[in-house]
Amino acid sequence: MSTLVASQFETAERSEVVLEFPSSRPRQLRLWAWLLGAWILSGIYIVSPEQQALVTMFGAVTASRVLPGIHYALPWPIDNVYKLKVHQLRRVAIGGDVADNVLGRLQPVSSEFLSGDQNLLNIRVVAQYSVSEPRDFLFQTENVDRVVGSVVGAELSRRIAHTAVDDILTTGKIAIQNEVLRAAQQTMDSYRTGATISSISLESVTPPPEAADAFRSVAGARADAIRIVNQAEGYANDLLPRARGEAAQLLEQAQAYKEGKVNRAAGDAARFGEVVLEYAKAPKVTSTRAYVEAMEQILPKLKKLIVDSSGNVDLTVIRRDDNSGTNQTGTSRK
Amino acid sequence: MTTHNKYTAAAVAVLLLLIYLSFYSVRETEFALVTQFGRPVRTVADAGLHVKWPFQSILWFDKRLRIYNPRPSEFLTRDKKNLVIENYVAWRIGDPDRFVQSVGDASAAEMRLHDIIWSGLSAALGMENLDSLVSASADKVQATGMLDLLTASADRVALSQYGIRVADVRIKRLNLPEQNKQSVFARMRAERERIAMQYRAEGEEQALTIRANADREKEEILSAAYKDAEKTRGQGDAEATRIYGQAYSKNPQFYRLLRTLESYKKVLDDKTTIILNSDSELLKVLTRGEAGAK
Repeated sequence: MSTLVASQFETAERSEVVLEFPSSRPRQLRLWAWLLGAWILSGIYIVSPEQQALVTMFGAVTASRVLPGIHYALPWPIDNVYKLKVHQLRRVAIGGDVADNVLGRLQPVSSEFLSGDQNLLNIRVVAQYSVSEPRDFLFQTENVDRVVGSVVGAELSRRIAHTAVDDILTTGKIAIQNEVLRAAQQTMDSYRTGATISSISLESVTPPPEAADAFRSVAGARADAIRIVNQAEGYANDLLPRARGEAAQLLEQAQAYKEGKVNRAAGDAARFGEVVLEYAKAPKVTSTRAYVEAMEQILPKLKKLIVDSSGNVDLTVIRRDDNSGTNQTGTSRK
Repeated sequence: MTTHNKYTAAAVAVLLLLIYLSFYSVRETEFALVTQFGRPVRTVADAGLHVKWPFQSILWFDKRLRIYNPRPSEFLTRDKKNLVIENYVAWRIGDPDRFVQSVGDASAAEMRLHDIIWSGLSAALGMENLDSLVSASADKVQATGMLDLLTASADRVALSQYGIRVADVRIKRLNLPEQNKQSVFARMRAERERIAMQYRAEGEEQALTIRANADREKEEILSAAYKDAEKTRGQGDAEATRIYGQAYSKNPQFYRLLRTLESYKKVLDDKTTIILNSDSELLKVLTRGEAGAK
């Protein structure tokens, strides 16, 4: 027992002796040197391509924009490196949509905006922004998302309150987005948020469910009006070509009449011209021949009564002859 | 060695402790308030490493801009219209010394701000008509001047009383009180119905105009064509007349004869009965023989 205790003392004694041993000094120093080296090396950091870094020494900024690559900063607790994904687009949604009410949130995200003509609209807008000034972004505002949401909400609300509901629903959207973006950026710059809004988009603009059917009926009426106008245009498009065709027909017919008339006249004139030349050579004979030829053509078709040059005729004979159906008897009676 | 070493170690430890107690760093986002036995001595706003007495202690305050969103509340405008307004306040700690004495922390600060802003806003809105806040006409710009004034006065009061700077007060949302909404919805519906009717009527108007226009155009086209056609016919008639005249005037007597004979062929047909005198030109030869031909 005692020997055991003694041996323990001995080992203790010996270990103390080992510590005192001069050869242990360099080993201890080497350990410290290694630790020191590791500490110094811990200051190496890498900024990846999508990032930028900012370095502070005891809290004060010493480098506000460190570009991607491998870098060195004094190790903790002297320097502190903040890395930021500067090009990353961050998204903030303002205003809920109808679904929020359906989801049964205790405090539904308010999305009702009052338009200039005192209509209520449910609007959901999404803003996207990125870091433009890492130093301001990190140190000037407590919560940039919240600032963006509030500022964009305020500017949107102001624009909506000065625009008529029809413009908001139809043509005014783009203008509102642009104006809100510009004004919100200005306000954010005055707060030194170090963020740049890249887009504002009105994702949904809907009338409240209580009046939605009335808005739909307006859309229906607009479609009806367009349909009616289209039908009328169809009517006009059908009517006018026909009329033009008819007009062309009239003109062509008239032209044909004119040509025909003139040509016939020319033909008749030419014929007469030829005949009259011959007539001039023997007027008496020609006129007699013409007369007789004409009579030859005409008389066979006719019923004829030939009476004596002096005598009168009993006209009752005509009727009787008609009844008998022959004119031959009439002629034979002479 | 042991006692000597122990003293050295203790001395080093004390030295380190003293260094630890004498230096402090202030970050970009903070104010440091140096206090001595609880009494504020000075405020440090510059970021970096600073020195103090070891017996002094430090309180840090966030000096970043923060957004406070009070609950929406109802206000009355000058023309006695109720509006539910949701606003936001951008604020930061401006005077840590005063802040720590009068307020202490952020949520207490927001309560104080709420009171200042609420009373300021209700006084300011009480002097504005509804249409300076909500109006569809472009020339009426929202009374931002009112909010700038409110911001300035709130800033003055908050800084002197609570060490708070108010950077901005803005209206985030305008709405109508719940009890008014049903009537607004009814009005919106009526308005929509009116607009729907207007659209239909305008469509009809346009359609009728188009149809009438087309009808008129058709009539114009046809009558113009008629005019031109008749003119052309007339020209044809005139030309023919001229040609006939020119040709027949060479021998009018012969023309009369020929034309008359021509017309006989058309006028006289098989329903005609003709009574001929035996002494007529044609029959003279028949009755008198050779002598008739003279």
